[in-house]
Amino acid sequence: MLWYKAWLETRSRFLASLCGATLIVWFFAHHAESLTLPGPRANIYTRNVVFYSHQYLMFVWILCAILLGMGGLIRERAIGASSFTLALPVSRTRLVVVRIAVGLLEAIALGVVPWVAICLIMDSYGKPVLLSQAAFYLGLLISGGLIYFALAVMTASLVENEYTAPAVAYGITILMIVLCGNIAWLRPYADLWRFMGGDNHLNKGTFFLSGPFPWSGAIAALAVTTVLLATSVWLIQHTEF
Amino acid sequence: MFFKLTPNAGQPLYLQLMEQIRHAVETGALRDGDLLPGIRTLAEKLVVSANTVVKAYAELEHEGLLELRQGAGAFVKLRRRSRSSPASIQNAGSLIRDLIERLRDDGLLDEEIRRAFEAELLYQRVEMRK
Amino acid sequence: MATAPAIETRHLTKKYRNALAVCDLHLLVPRGCVTAFLGCNGAGKSTTIKMALGMVRPTAGEASVLGTRVSDIRASCRTRQRIAYVAENKPLYGYMTPEQLMRFASSFYADWRPEVAAKLLGEYALPPDRKVKSLSKGMRTKLALLLALARRPDLLILDEPSEGLDPVGIEHLLQTIAVCSAEGVTVFFSSHQIAEVERVADRICILDKGRLLLNASLDDLRESYRCIDVTFPSVPFEREFQISGVEKIRTSGRQMRVLASRNAEAVVERAQQFHAVSIDVAPVSLRDIFLQTVQEG
Repeated sequence: MLWYKAWLETRSRFLASLCGATLIVWFFAHHAESLTLPGPRANIYTRNVVFYSHQYLMFVWILCAILLGMGGLIRERAIGASSFTLALPVSRTRLVVVRIAVGLLEAIALGVVPWVAICLIMDSYGKPVLLSQAAFYLGLLISGGLIYFALAVMTASLVENEYTAPAVAYGITILMIVLCGNIAWLRPYADLWRFMGGDNHLNKGTFFLSGPFPWSGAIAALAVTTVLLATSVWLIQHTEF
Repeated sequence: MFFKLTPNAGQPLYLQLMEQIRHAVETGALRDGDLLPGIRTLAEKLVVSANTVVKAYAELEHEGLLELRQGAGAFVKLRRRSRSSPASIQNAGSLIRDLIERLRDDGLLDEEIRRAFEAELLYQRVEMRK
Repeated sequence: MATAPAIETRHLTKKYRNALAVCDLHLLVPRGCVTAFLGCNGAGKSTTIKMALGMVRPTAGEASVLGTRVSDIRASCRTRQRIAYVAENKPLYGYMTPEQLMRFASSFYADWRPEVAAKLLGEYALPPDRKVKSLSKGMRTKLALLLALARRPDLLILDEPSEGLDPVGIEHLLQTIAVCSAEGVTVFFSSHQIAEVERVADRICILDKGRLLLNASLDDLRESYRCIDVTFPSVPFEREFQISGVEKIRTSGRQMRVLASRNAEAVVERAQQFHAVSIDVAPVSLRDIFLQTVQEG
């Protein structure tokens, strides 16, 4: 039933985000030919639909994943509902872990569903997308992007105000993107934005992602996510309500 | 049965309840074999803790005025002569009435009379203990 | 385990940055009783309850509930199965409907009684499918009470349960407490309303500024607390009346007022030794006891 609660708590945000993200990819797919975007015209579908819709999807995805990471026990404490939750015969760890797990699943769905949509739409237009390309982008999006989700969860474990918490999370995210993209020695290791966007693997001529999937980078990113989430659990375990 | 408990009186609620049950028996409002309300029902009706009712019933059973039957409830039992007979109670009533009248004639207020009674009762208890 | 007190605290202390919320509290709440936890607003009642439930960590000391030490997190988690708690704040989950909330709560507790829940839902006239956030404060209070009262826990903890209820609601609540006590539930409820407490409670604990000023049975209080007004031809020294049980002595002219927590007989006897002209013995209401202890403490 904790899953049910977490679902009810987040479903409106999740469904709204899902609609938003899917609308964006639909827009790109539908207007693929009329969009004028930088790059060669040779592979216009690969370029406009796959690459550029991914860039915008990525932006929206991060925005929404942070929203999905909001809420939880600290927010409930501010409202006063945490006394009910904490009186349940359930450990705090389980309360937090279930809440995070639901958020994670929703964040993953928020990546998978739009990509499935792209594939289906393009299929119906007779311009099928290579599944390997879709999987490549999706892998990058989720493995890298979950760091932002974890960051949001951690912020929500520290800041209780309904508006301050997302503001802080967005602030940190923007700061991270700007700093990691502009400080020369950080760029090769920490430019999450480029990693997620697939820029490192993009063939500028064909607009295909080429080369092997960056497993080491993905695993490193997931490790950071795990550490952030574990820290959040620890924080909640040691919070007073 | 009607009971009226006053939380402000300087008397535990279970004693008040005991007295009112005793009184009901003495005046005939409760007859031999009558069933008293269940603990839960009476506690809910009087809005008192169940312990108040339990204690009153148990003490009255101890005195022999009630019989508690498991699962069935509390029954009034009048086999022995009740502690003060209706006659002696009536007698006491008229004695006290006379006394109160005399005290009122002496200009004492009812409240003063009540307190004097209580002080004397307390004093009697001290004397009895010696 | 059955004989373990419902709540027991030893040296329980909570210090917030610059304020002492609870100070060296030794509280013992026996099983099978209705215990009222009285105190002014901000006396530390909620903090004490939250420490007993493991929501707030004590600065010092420890608490046990139903024989389980609160610091033992795993065991406490299991013990919560036997505790129902209604917090001071009752916003619950705004995004659920009462029906969803009942389904949610019932899944955690083995002692959930669906028929009682349905009955209470009707009695409280709660709309089952409106979102909780759109309910009035009184309705949310009723819903929070329903979630606790639909169970049959060993221990029911209510923190200011009557807040936001109308007089009818309060009466109903007190009746429910009486019924709970008849079902063998230990009830511990905090309040700052003496009128609520004095009928239904077996025991009262008075907390003021984080300190326990009184923990006694109401029967004892009623039986033994007396205010004795004595008039003398010439007033004796107050110290003549400082015998055990005497809490407070005041003299005014030829009159003396003695507040005794017990031993009123001895005071009367002493007064007679000093040839008292009149002796007035009056019971002390809980309200007076509360005000006297809190003002002195």
